[in-house]
Amino acid sequence: MKHSLRLMALAGFVLPFLAWADDAIVIEPATKRVEITTDFAGADVKTYGVVDGPGDLIIKITGPRQDVTLSREIKWGPLWIGGGKVNVAGAPSLLYLYATKPIASILPPAEQDKYQLRLEGVQMRIEPQLLENAADAWRQAFFRLKEKEGRYLEDDHAIKVIRHRLVVSDIMLPGDTQIGKYEIETLLIKSGKVVGHDVSQFEVRQVGIERWVWNAAHDNSWLFGIVCTLAAMVLGFTLNAVSHRR
Amino acid sequence: MSVGAVKLILFGRKALSLGGYNSFMELFLPIAHMDVNIVLILMYGALVGFLSGLVGVGGGFLITPLLIFTGVPPIIAVSNGATQMAGTAAGASFIQWRYGNIDFRMALVLLAGSWLGGGFGVYLANMLVRGGQFGNVVTFLYVVLLGFIGITMLIESIRAVVRVDAPDAPVSGETAARPSRTQALVDHLPFQAAFPISGVRMSALVPLMLGAGVGILTSLMGVGGGFIMVPVMIYLLKMPTKIVVGTSLFQLLFTTAAVSIMQAGVNHSVDPFLAGTLILGSIFGTNYGARLGARMPAEKLRLILALVVVGVAVKMVMILVVPPSEVYEMAVKVR
Repeated sequence: MKHSLRLMALAGFVLPFLAWADDAIVIEPATKRVEITTDFAGADVKTYGVVDGPGDLIIKITGPRQDVTLSREIKWGPLWIGGGKVNVAGAPSLLYLYATKPIASILPPAEQDKYQLRLEGVQMRIEPQLLENAADAWRQAFFRLKEKEGRYLEDDHAIKVIRHRLVVSDIMLPGDTQIGKYEIETLLIKSGKVVGHDVSQFEVRQVGIERWVWNAAHDNSWLFGIVCTLAAMVLGFTLNAVSHRR
Repeated sequence: MSVGAVKLILFGRKALSLGGYNSFMELFLPIAHMDVNIVLILMYGALVGFLSGLVGVGGGFLITPLLIFTGVPPIIAVSNGATQMAGTAAGASFIQWRYGNIDFRMALVLLAGSWLGGGFGVYLANMLVRGGQFGNVVTFLYVVLLGFIGITMLIESIRAVVRVDAPDAPVSGETAARPSRTQALVDHLPFQAAFPISGVRMSALVPLMLGAGVGILTSLMGVGGGFIMVPVMIYLLKMPTKIVVGTSLFQLLFTTAAVSIMQAGVNHSVDPFLAGTLILGSIFGTNYGARLGARMPAEKLRLILALVVVGVAVKMVMILVVPPSEVYEMAVKVR
């Protein structure tokens, strides 16, 4: 009896992996590298996939982690003045939850938590450490701002499934998108259960002169500053001298 | 810098559509990590350049909020404002030098003072930051100082413009007429020196101290300080307005260059594409401003500067009294 229980537990653990392994869903971005050049103004990463039959889909796109500073204003008499500032570390720069239907309607809350399918469930570190109440106010502000900027969003029209087989989705990256690795996690859902799972990635990186400038500014910052400033002065001087002589 | 400018000219007009994003006239900034509209940045540059050429202020107080409003992170806005001013001031100083408007001797003394004061100001800023009240102190400083300077200048310049038909009114404003005890004291300070281009004679300690005062303020406010330096030279040092414009620009060149280098070194926040585009824009403005300034009577120039200063003060007051639509603000940390 005990033995069979253990076996069942083992099966319960292994079976989902087997289900994933038989490729119920496979999804890949059309490009593994998004390259940032001088005229970069955002990108549209086409993503294609195959699914083995009817069901609902959730595609979760997680951007690289990004540290931000949050500040707030408080009312002081008739005036609005600065009232504190915190650093928020460890949260993804971007989080898209694409789905074929509203996520709440296709997955029970416990499963949503398990697969971290809540925009406001993201883990983060607030520095300096604050009491729970105070930290919560900052956390809520963080989510509100992220959602307002469209960096954290839930979209139940962003996935197209053609004849229950072909999956097409466009991942829209903003012009100031964070550099680094983006993860695409896809879940196939049938009657409230996750029956298929696939993970893929793409990378956003700077190339050419962009990359060179970034490296120079970070590796030899003082030299870079002196050269840039002198170049600025020479540029200002030359352009002025030329246009003045005209 | 020039590479950015060349790329901008070559590729700026290439209209292409990436997915749903229209990248017409967009330039990606490698340090700020964002795309900006080239035309918009050129226009910012032109506006600031025009003010520089006309009244000798760098326009840091203007360019920083404009860039932040466009979505550029604050530290990058401040830093590239300084880089741009170094470039603009280099160009504008050249024009002013051609017009014979720079008092080099005065500029060097002021500069020595402002570097001393600037160093102390950085230390002071550090203490205020640790106390957690830096932002508020700076805002109040802006409002009080700009409000006072602006309104005083406004009154004086309006009077001067009204009374312009009095033929031998002193060029440097009405304040010249009142010798006071302070004046007597100043006249007895050591290191008396002549500043022939400005046509004044005074102890070198006076511009040195004034420079130091301005230096402290510029460190705290993070701007070139032209809008403080210019009134100081006009009203306290009693220099002719046109010489003031040239000297201020020349002095500004060194202050902003130092800030620009330090920002790049410490904060990695100077973006050559952004600064280059701003400078390119500012050149058109500077030229036009300097030509207009050369033709314009001194009291009108002072009136324009007074209006600019009052405008900034009013804007700062608005920030303080208008309830923000969102009390929280988020900024990406620049590594």
